[in-house]
Amino acid sequence: MKITDIVIRAGRSLKQAKARTLLTSLAIGVGAFTIVLSLAIGAGGRDYASNIITSNTNPQELFVQPKADANNDPTKPQKYTEGPSATYGNYSVKLLSQSDVDKITTLDGVESVTPIYSVKVQYITTEGQDKYQVSLRSFNDGVKLDYLAGNSENISTNNGILMTDTYLSSLGFSDASAAMGKKVQIAVNKSSNLAGIPESKIFEFTVIGVVKSPALAASPLSGMQIYKDDIKAIYDYSQKGTAMYGEYQGAIALAKNGADVKVVKNNIDNAGYEAQTAEDLMSFIFNFINVLQAILIGFGVLAVLTSVFGIINTQYISVLERTQQIGLMKALGMRRRDVGRLFKLEAAWVGFLGGAIGSGLAVIAGTIGNPFISKALNLGNTNLIVFEPLSVLAVVVGLIIVSVTAGIAPARKAAKLNPIEALRTE
Amino acid sequence: MIEVTNLVKTYGKKDNTFNAVDDVTFSIPTGKSVAILGKSGSGKSTLMHIMSGLDKPTSGSILIDGKDILSLKQKDIDSFRSKKMSFIFQSFFVQAKESCYDNVSLPLEIAKISYSRRKKMIEAALAAVDMSEKINAKAGELSGGQKQRLAVARAIVNSPKILFADEPTGNLDSVTGGMVENLLFNYSKENNVTLIIVTHDADLAKRCEIQIHLKDGKIDSTRGII
Repeated sequence: MKITDIVIRAGRSLKQAKARTLLTSLAIGVGAFTIVLSLAIGAGGRDYASNIITSNTNPQELFVQPKADANNDPTKPQKYTEGPSATYGNYSVKLLSQSDVDKITTLDGVESVTPIYSVKVQYITTEGQDKYQVSLRSFNDGVKLDYLAGNSENISTNNGILMTDTYLSSLGFSDASAAMGKKVQIAVNKSSNLAGIPESKIFEFTVIGVVKSPALAASPLSGMQIYKDDIKAIYDYSQKGTAMYGEYQGAIALAKNGADVKVVKNNIDNAGYEAQTAEDLMSFIFNFINVLQAILIGFGVLAVLTSVFGIINTQYISVLERTQQIGLMKALGMRRRDVGRLFKLEAAWVGFLGGAIGSGLAVIAGTIGNPFISKALNLGNTNLIVFEPLSVLAVVVGLIIVSVTAGIAPARKAAKLNPIEALRTE
Repeated sequence: MIEVTNLVKTYGKKDNTFNAVDDVTFSIPTGKSVAILGKSGSGKSTLMHIMSGLDKPTSGSILIDGKDILSLKQKDIDSFRSKKMSFIFQSFFVQAKESCYDNVSLPLEIAKISYSRRKKMIEAALAAVDMSEKINAKAGELSGGQKQRLAVARAIVNSPKILFADEPTGNLDSVTGGMVENLLFNYSKENNVTLIIVTHDADLAKRCEIQIHLKDGKIDSTRGII
């Protein structure tokens, strides 16, 4: 018998038992729905995460820290090591000193190294306005910024500051262009002072650009940006004379243009430090998404597993019901193999239907749900559910294979049927 | 030419055996109509099953046109059956939910006849049993006589050389039964097809050129064998 004829006959048999076929397929459909949707959420989540990475970090940057002892057991007392350290509760972290920074600068593939100056400022204000908390960070030209006005061109020369749009109305500006060229004052506290005699200094900056607080940014307060020398000046004022001056929690190493970040990371690691690329830093997001996705897929697989027994059961009943038909086909010379194929293909049809129904519903649900999810999570134009045609196809094909596998035992029973027994009517 | 020699089919084991077919020998020339007669349990159905390759004998041989069908592999027997043989059953075994067209199409699909040739063959077979106007009707909607005619159409569609009919009129009234009988005998005569009818109906058997009476698995008497 030709395979096309078997496919058609298989499809026809299923059509003759519509309710049963549909119900069995729906069982698989539930699994298909879950799996397709979780794959789409995973894909969308990863897109979202890599968006976060590119809008928050420069891929050529590496975050460098002193090496932590990998064998450290945090539940036991820690060994004391010489050198500067920062203490958090009873846990202390080693710090980078200026000599470390200099050493890293000389490493192969490293363009420049900027220590992370932990700058704490008191407030930002402008004439006639209230004082607001603010965080400052060093300007990084590798990070994508969305300018509402101005640009970063003169940031190094003019005491320029890139303001985030969320501060506009608070500081009394009607819109982005109104803020351009205006002066803002930032007050910094001198930490080395003896308690009780506060001393602070006002640093004045000129707004040279207003940037949109990125929709995908991890922190809503992602700070205003000033040139790294300005950051250092504030740091020097605020920290000089304290024990922690010149000791950094970490540093940002910039890999040379064209240098492979991973190679640079190795160089730094080999020199006795620990470097993390932007991707490493964000990998926890990917891990989180992957775990979430795996759990969802797990539920889908469970649903499919349950439906497998449904298919086996349905197919066994079908073989019993059609004993005479099978007997007739074998009497007419249909080969065992073809009889088996007929039933396996019926199972394949069930799998295909279930896969198509489930993934179809998933695509519809995802497409309808996307705008609502984006709105609820404030993602702007980003879709959190992204269907990849290839993975949908893979799910459907996978379910067909699963169904055929489930149909093997009933198909074998049909193939083995003795035609004489089957055609005995009394 | 069908040559059956010393055919034995034994059921059961050790002391508890009995021979459903016991040392049966005969030969049937091509194109003859043959009745295998006997009461139920006489072994006539078993004999038919063995002759058509559906069952294996315990011993003996069957030559069809000189070919020993017992020495064939299963898939060759299947292929032989689909090309050379056909069956008509007492309870029709038409597929009630399928159209007449699809019912008649089944043997052609099994014999791997190309799609383009099938339509003509099916139409011709249905015309031969005067069922042309029912071509798209569901088999389940037909009367008993029409079902058996449909079964005849299915049996003759691939131009078999041997037609086995197992009590073909057993479930029909005498008028429709007579129609089906006529169909079978005429087809056999016109196309030189060997017709083997298994029956306990003496009247039907009389219409056959050869009669083989079975009793307890043995040939009791024959008529017409040359």
